[in-house]
Amino acid sequence: MSPVVQLLAKRLSISVIVLIGVSMLIFAIARIIPGDPARIALGPNATAEQVVQLRDKLHLDDSIIVQYAYFVSDFARGDLGISLYTNRPVMTDIAQFLPATLELVFVAGLFMIGFGIPLGILSARHRGKAVDNVIRVLSLLGVSAPSFVWAVILMLLFAFFLPIFPIAGQISDTLTVPPRMTGFLLFDCLLAGDLRAFADAAHHIVLPAFALSLSGIGQAARLTRANMIETYDKPYIEMARSYGFPEQRIARRYAFRPSLIPSLTIIGLDFAAMLGNAFLVEAVYAWPGLSRYGVQVILRKDLNAIVGTVLVISATFLVVNIIVDLLIAFINPRIRYAERSRP
Amino acid sequence: MNTIAKRMAAALIGVSTMALVPAGPAFAETVLRLDEVAVGELDPAKASDYADSILMFNVYDTLVLPVQGAPGLAPHLAKSWSADGNKHTFVLRDDVKFQSGNPLTADDVVFSLQRMQALGAGLSYLFANVESVEAVDEHTVSFVLKEAYAPFVSSMLRLPIVDKQLVMENLGEGEGDMGDWGQAYLSANGAGSGAYKVTAHNPQQETVMAKNADYFLGVPGAAPDTARLRYGLEPATVRTLIAQGEHDISSQWLPPEVLKALSKDGAQLLTESGTGGFYVKMNTTKAPLDDVECRLALTNAFDYGSAIKMIAVTDDVSQGSPATGAIPVGMLGANPPMDALKRDMDAAKKHLDACRYEADDINIEISWIAEVPLEERFALLMQANFAELGIKSEIKKMPWALFAEQVSKPENTPHISQLFVNAVTGDPDTLLYGMYNSKLAGTWQSPEYLKDADVDDLLEQGRDNTDLAARETAYKALNDRLMAIAPTIYGFDRQSVFAASDRVKVPALSDPSKAFGLDGMGFSFRLMEMQDGK
Repeated sequence: MSPVVQLLAKRLSISVIVLIGVSMLIFAIARIIPGDPARIALGPNATAEQVVQLRDKLHLDDSIIVQYAYFVSDFARGDLGISLYTNRPVMTDIAQFLPATLELVFVAGLFMIGFGIPLGILSARHRGKAVDNVIRVLSLLGVSAPSFVWAVILMLLFAFFLPIFPIAGQISDTLTVPPRMTGFLLFDCLLAGDLRAFADAAHHIVLPAFALSLSGIGQAARLTRANMIETYDKPYIEMARSYGFPEQRIARRYAFRPSLIPSLTIIGLDFAAMLGNAFLVEAVYAWPGLSRYGVQVILRKDLNAIVGTVLVISATFLVVNIIVDLLIAFINPRIRYAERSRP
Repeated sequence: MNTIAKRMAAALIGVSTMALVPAGPAFAETVLRLDEVAVGELDPAKASDYADSILMFNVYDTLVLPVQGAPGLAPHLAKSWSADGNKHTFVLRDDVKFQSGNPLTADDVVFSLQRMQALGAGLSYLFANVESVEAVDEHTVSFVLKEAYAPFVSSMLRLPIVDKQLVMENLGEGEGDMGDWGQAYLSANGAGSGAYKVTAHNPQQETVMAKNADYFLGVPGAAPDTARLRYGLEPATVRTLIAQGEHDISSQWLPPEVLKALSKDGAQLLTESGTGGFYVKMNTTKAPLDDVECRLALTNAFDYGSAIKMIAVTDDVSQGSPATGAIPVGMLGANPPMDALKRDMDAAKKHLDACRYEADDINIEISWIAEVPLEERFALLMQANFAELGIKSEIKKMPWALFAEQVSKPENTPHISQLFVNAVTGDPDTLLYGMYNSKLAGTWQSPEYLKDADVDDLLEQGRDNTDLAARETAYKALNDRLMAIAPTIYGFDRQSVFAASDRVKVPALSDPSKAFGLDGMGFSFRLMEMQDGK
């Protein structure tokens, strides 16, 4: 078996164990949040009898172990139960809302890589100069201000004072949403051959994705800069310079590639963390995503939906981490060889 | 640049150029855009909050409607009704069709009530007193009650009539012959006869409704062709959207500062009042509030004037008006507006002297609901007011879920709880019975744990008397009794305020003579007028 397949198998088996642990943990934690889920779901006017009936239906009076057994048995059939928030199957909700968040996070990830790494390289190459200082200040601002602050600031700047981007939603009200095929609106627009809708959806995603990515851009820039500066001090860079290699080639081939490995790990973690952090940006831009749904269901103590949402976010987190591990193994032969040589 | 890169660049430029071209509608249609904080529940049997009411009153019809600008009920699906003891009979119009094209008959009314009782959710408790319901003929339906209930006809305002045939064709899995009673279907689709049809429903985003051209009363041309009820928008987003002309009516839950800013920018302020109030509830089982003199000391020390100033949006519009007692002005049995409650520190001191507890020994727990930041300000106001009497107090923030759980036991219920309570049918019974009947103590509405035989008796009189004048007398006496024993500080009569663009006229929310006096009914889209060219 190739080392990469071994690595993949190992990571997958660990991920399954982690997911089982997360499901147990979140199942217990969700039940500790104050408040009766049945009372919250039925609203303030519900009678005591109505509350008792719903508690009975949800098995809330059974022990937590029995409740977990019901959950596992339903989950094995692909059923995560009904959301008390939307009154629909949790699976339906997740299938509807997850693509919107993934699309947003994916575009934010592209911004993070597309802006963060080049800015880091630029900063490292011009260490101590004005460009470096400006990039460092901007990166610090990006990292230190929370994404919802950026969301509001960007909205005010580019949707209110200078109205060049839309304020809210995924697509203009006046356009017909293409038939749902993948759930990813940009893809669905392209698959339907509707370029106008695609352009409009792309226009809508820019501000929220940029607001979400700003912290990651700052992080990626700072990290890339620090790693590259460290690499620039290595003797083999000095040797390359002494051979008269062009500076651009040294940066790209000898300084950047080793610096990418620690950056990639952090970018991977940031990418996954954006799934959870997206809720504030989704709230400001009325983005119909899973993160916003997750917060709403926690506030309403919607037990089935909490467990379902956390499991999906955890699974996505794990998948992203596996991809990052594989990428690092691909980039760095030493990691591949270390994996192979382990007993 | 190679060929592929050039092509990609050309495609990107093309697409970005398209993005900058405003996406215009294919044909001229008027679109109303409004928002609510909570997700709207489309299933009318589960409807309970404001967003649900907006959907319900537009997608479904009820047998009666509130009279606009005055108390009382007007015919709607029912042409007439009569009562014979505990039996109420309604004669239906014969020209009403559902949006599906099915005719609306007495069978649909029977089905709608049975479905509501079977699901036991939302406002179904209003119909717990119905023993049986029967279709006498195709257009006559009768309800037999277990016991007398004078405001039964007003309960019909909360019984939306569902298309039985359509629901039966879409039953989901469940126990018994009725499966899920169509819950899965009705949570995503409409099955009503209302002036607007549901065309799309995304609980995370919006419900889109379009004019029903076949509505039995007709829908005026000026009414919006499409209405988009958006959910969960942040105040900052709503403010930006309205300012940019991309939103028409805000929810009532915007902070006063945002409403004020929007008003300053030219937005009109719409209002809805007379349906409920802000009640500061005192736990009458806990010392020192088990002594009526102590409670009266607090009710007199409360600064009603400052309370009104705290909720003012502009000089003319406020999120409340001065309370005159337990019943909001305009509702049956209410005191007139000139009897507004006022702070009286002399009376407060006298009552405190008469209280069997020493002021120095009193430490009151004032709670506020974490989800309603306004209540924190009122908690601070009360703390300052009571301190003037020498009474110490502690402020406690409680999430709603925790509050609803804790009030089930008097010993866990805080001394003071702050709540907004509404009459769900506009009748004082649905406001006061749940709050003050001694059998119903210990719910979110009744943290007072009041046990008073006179109050119980007057509440029953309000239910039993079919004569309107006799009911009014009973509620006036009840109002007086509640003022005398002071289980509650009547903070202010609630007024919902909505910011709106000048693209829409909403007579039911701007002209008192057109107001319905029922939460959410002012949002009947068919009665709104979209303004041309705005």
